[in-house]
Amino acid sequence: MKQSITIYLLFSLLSVFPLQALCHEGSSEATETSWEKWGPTAGLTAGGFIVRAGYVIGGTTPVPLPAEIRKINSFSPRGGVSIGIDGYRMFSKRWGISLGAHFFWEGFHTNADVKNYYVWLEQEGEITKGYFTGTNVTNTEMWGVTVPLLATFRISPRWNLSFGPYLSYYFKQTFSGEVFDNDQGVGYLREDSPVGTKILMTRENPTPYPDNFADSMVPFSVGMEVGFDWKALRHMNVFGSLDWGMTDIWKRDFEAISFHMYPIYGTIGVAYRY
Amino acid sequence: MKRTSLLLLAPCLLLLPSSCIQKEKSNTECDIESVSIHVDAPSDIFYHDYDTMQAIISTSTDITFTTRSYAEVGLLPLTLRVTEGATVFLVGENGEEPFHNGSLVDFSDQKVCKFRVVSEDKMWNRMYNISILHDKPSEGNLSITFDSYALDPSGKYYVWNAPDIFTDGQWKNGNPGFKISKSSAQPMDYPSTPAIGAGPDGNDCLKLETRDTGPFGRMVNMRIASGSMFNGVFDVGNAITNTLKATQFGSPFTHKPVQFRVWLRAERGSVFQNREGNPVSGVVDEPDAYVVLYRNEDAEGNKVQLDGSDVLSSPNIVGLGRLPHHYNADGSDQLTDSPIHGVTEEWQEFVIPVEYKAEVDADILKNKGYNLVISFASSWQGAHFQGAIGSKLFIDKIRLYCE
Repeated sequence: MKQSITIYLLFSLLSVFPLQALCHEGSSEATETSWEKWGPTAGLTAGGFIVRAGYVIGGTTPVPLPAEIRKINSFSPRGGVSIGIDGYRMFSKRWGISLGAHFFWEGFHTNADVKNYYVWLEQEGEITKGYFTGTNVTNTEMWGVTVPLLATFRISPRWNLSFGPYLSYYFKQTFSGEVFDNDQGVGYLREDSPVGTKILMTRENPTPYPDNFADSMVPFSVGMEVGFDWKALRHMNVFGSLDWGMTDIWKRDFEAISFHMYPIYGTIGVAYRY
Repeated sequence: MKRTSLLLLAPCLLLLPSSCIQKEKSNTECDIESVSIHVDAPSDIFYHDYDTMQAIISTSTDITFTTRSYAEVGLLPLTLRVTEGATVFLVGENGEEPFHNGSLVDFSDQKVCKFRVVSEDKMWNRMYNISILHDKPSEGNLSITFDSYALDPSGKYYVWNAPDIFTDGQWKNGNPGFKISKSSAQPMDYPSTPAIGAGPDGNDCLKLETRDTGPFGRMVNMRIASGSMFNGVFDVGNAITNTLKATQFGSPFTHKPVQFRVWLRAERGSVFQNREGNPVSGVVDEPDAYVVLYRNEDAEGNKVQLDGSDVLSSPNIVGLGRLPHHYNADGSDQLTDSPIHGVTEEWQEFVIPVEYKAEVDADILKNKGYNLVISFASSWQGAHFQGAIGSKLFIDKIRLYCE
């Protein structure tokens, strides 16, 4: 399953890089001029700054989706703004490095049908735990800054690819949600085990998540970023990037949700190139 | 062309989760959800036609059918509705054999038949006892004390037995619901507890106390739990979503009660709070005690079981005896600071007449067509999660006189 996600993502990313860009490899004089024209302003190996503004979309999700999740009924982004600056330096015609700071507000709302989803809730020393079947609504929003350190590769005069690790720090995180019955009217918690007391949950009186979930979120995330820049105008780029978080958003002792969850957010936007 | 392909990225990210739904796992549950017995002439054996079928709540593993006292049963076809994918085994002295719906089961001599239900994934199983018992004739007049109690199998809270009084031989209360919200509570911290040596004669009596349900109670806007005690069914499955339906009052009774006597004393919690947990000024908490006799079958022969929404208002009610309270002109409960129930901090015996608004049909009564409810609460508005934390009602020596 993991493999299929990776393949899918690679395919999605590759689909945005037209092959004809690579076909311009032939080093005619016109092409050399083109490399210079679209290159860093002061020679091919110089550096510069890029100021970026983008729209962020994605989700915080277990990878792969566990079998307990049966159906995604709806998904919508929350927030979705990223503003940042990158400094870059080219070492050769094709290779360079980039370091940036991207401030973001990202999040999502999702409504999913689950079956036998283990939950363990603790509030002020009181514990409720068991297996939930029904509909689960989750909302999360995160405000923070991402610092990517990327290798950049110029595949053609106007196209750059970038790849490398990033560190995110969250100023604020929220995580809320509620559970109730699904469209077939099925919604219940089996307390402690599948043979425990069956406690019904309905949409007329949904049961919210405790308000302390966000306290159990790690304020840092480390992951890998892949991205591209397309030089649309002399000083303007169109860019896209994907941040794939590789650290669980939950603290190690958090047991309310039985699987690890990772932030996976993509950004598309425009940038001004100095 | 390049720009359009850029825009493809966003939908690709959205499609990612839905393309990864994994294969559904086998069911882990193994419940009997309902039991039905097929007999050609139900009314020859049972009091009501609906007595041949029972819906089973998740906490119940002892299932009994009650027949007319003279009815003899032998091999009867049994049908069980179980969790999808689960398999059923009939457990005998010499091991177990697969059970198929409609097979004949030997229920003669009030035998307890054991069934094991195994989940679809084969990892879980539950044992059930099913039996068909003869009805025991009732004397009518009741005399009840609360000195027979024990911890429930989970060891978390007390239960009170009432053998030969109610069909299922047990008092019910909201303790199982309180357990969901306050897992840390000790048995004596529950809303319904014994009070050792605190009765009017120094004997053990019953204590009901309105309790704070803690953080989980606040989460679902059910901040208090009134102490309660009644006969019938407490369906803990509805305890969070449809609380009024969780308390299903009454069990069949074959006599006409005329007078309800009970020893009571109460201590009032200091601050009356509304459902949102805000103090309400000018209102004090009141205890409640009542008996109800109601018709347990509708015109179409369907079962009628009153619950928290209609136990005091249903048109099926024929007789009612209750501690006095103030009511508004439209009949709704009036919250005041000057209650008239008369229960004080000193023990007193209350004599409450049962008043009838409809004739009791002697033949229907004899055939278990009426249910009797005996019910107590430390906060009379507890069903609506209103009351004062710390309100207590002590109860002992119930007597019910019948015609």
